Amino acid sequence: MFVEPFRYERAESLSDACARLRDSGGTAKLVAGGQSLLPMMNLGLVELDVLIDVSRVTEARGVVEEEGYLRIGALTRHRDLETDPLVARHQPLLAAAARHVGNARVRNRGTVGGSLAHADPSAELPLAMTCLGAEYELIDGALARVVPAHEFHVSSFTTELADHEVLASVRVPTLGPGWGWGFQEVSRRPGDFAIVAAAALVRTAGGEMVESRVALGGASDRPIRLGAVEASVTGARAEDLEARIGPVEGLDPVTDTNATAEHRRRLARVLAVRVLADACRRADEAA
Amino acid sequence: MSADLTTTLVVNGRTVTRTAGAHLSLLRWLRDVADVLDPKYACGEGVCGACAVLVDGEPVSSCIVLAAQVDGARVTTAAGLTGPGGELSPLQRAFHEHHAAQCGFCTPGMLICATAMLADGMTRTRDEIRHELHGNLCRCTGYQQVVDAIEAAQGAAQGAAQGAAQGIPP
Ligand code: FES
Ligand code: FES
Repeated sequence: MFVEPFRYERAESLSDACARLRDSGGTAKLVAGGQSLLPMMNLGLVELDVLIDVSRVTEARGVVEEEGYLRIGALTRHRDLETDPLVARHQPLLAAAARHVGNARVRNRGTVGGSLAHADPSAELPLAMTCLGAEYELIDGALARVVPAHEFHVSSFTTELADHEVLASVRVPTLGPGWGWGFQEVSRRPGDFAIVAAAALVRTAGGEMVESRVALGGASDRPIRLGAVEASVTGARAEDLEARIGPVEGLDPVTDTNATAEHRRRLARVLAVRVLADACRRADEAA
Repeated sequence: MSADLTTTLVVNGRTVTRTAGAHLSLLRWLRDVADVLDPKYACGEGVCGACAVLVDGEPVSSCIVLAAQVDGARVTTAAGLTGPGGELSPLQRAFHEHHAAQCGFCTPGMLICATAMLADGMTRTRDEIRHELHGNLCRCTGYQQVVDAIEAAQGAAQGAAQGAAQGIPP
């Protein structure tokens, strides 16, 4: 499939990109790493008039530590998350999620902001951010606003971003001592989008779960936290999880060429149990 | 509407400047505009690795990067892995010796991704080599010989490094 010509503009900065988006009157699209958009263009799923390239903007790449959180620039690449020492120390769940993205070439070009704004319901980073309770910083050139991950991801490929807004950075809370993490997914082949993916964070005391966060991707039109499961496992040990966790309620899985909705429901429970058990084990080891 | 764009890339050490559609992927720019034919087009989705090249030393799927996005970069294709006198790299030689290509369509991308993999100097198990190469599809070899070749090449690189440390000529 040959891509039709379009106008290509190079943004100097993220606020310049906002201005260009506004000027285009809603006809332009942003490209960063392009690892989702360009395949869709090659397959003929997306056609555009104007493409605004932010991939060469350097201001928004990298991870810095601030009071109680890591600020991750939107143009930080998956590969950076895999190798960044601050991420490894303060939020290793994010590095584990990034390792599951695509193949080495995708992780080398693909960006955090691109993945979050693309909002594929089975993508790894939106899931990890939802589990972590991350907050997204959006700019429109003048004003900025902060939107929590669970509000940003509205449904399949649909987010809170307005036409002229750009996702500039993400604030990820750092974990105190005593937390462990788990991340697992089931996919047809390594590198494929997950059929279902799960992420968990657990804090234990004396081997019992005191606090937990668990979320699923691929089981609904957006990543979702499983509040009822979290409530049901308080006080549990890793070996109790299988008995404590019943069928996961509140999911809305689809049937597609990869799996049936029923299969996704089963995976949802199995993976929730597994990631919570992994997180418990890691929390115990850390204690 | 400025549909054309002048882009300069250093392809296998040669500076190439061309004015062409800004919508062209790096792969189409290389193949259709600059006549660099070793990277291949297959999936167009970043999945198969047939189009893999190194951009400033890092592996990318050239089918899903615009040439415009990497203007000014150093691009290495499989043909650029040979030495100045055209001699094969240790990895290329291992592919040749282990018969790691049949039709050869996937081979330029395999060589590029394996070169990127071996750049960290780590010794990998066969399983790890297979895992790292999950983004490179081959319809012919069944991968056995490809893994054989990469395993041999990393052994050879290590032997050479040890030899050099001990002053033994290769
Ligand atoms: S053609 Fe580029 S990865 Fe398949
Ligand atoms: S040798 Fe034919 S596709 Fe790999």
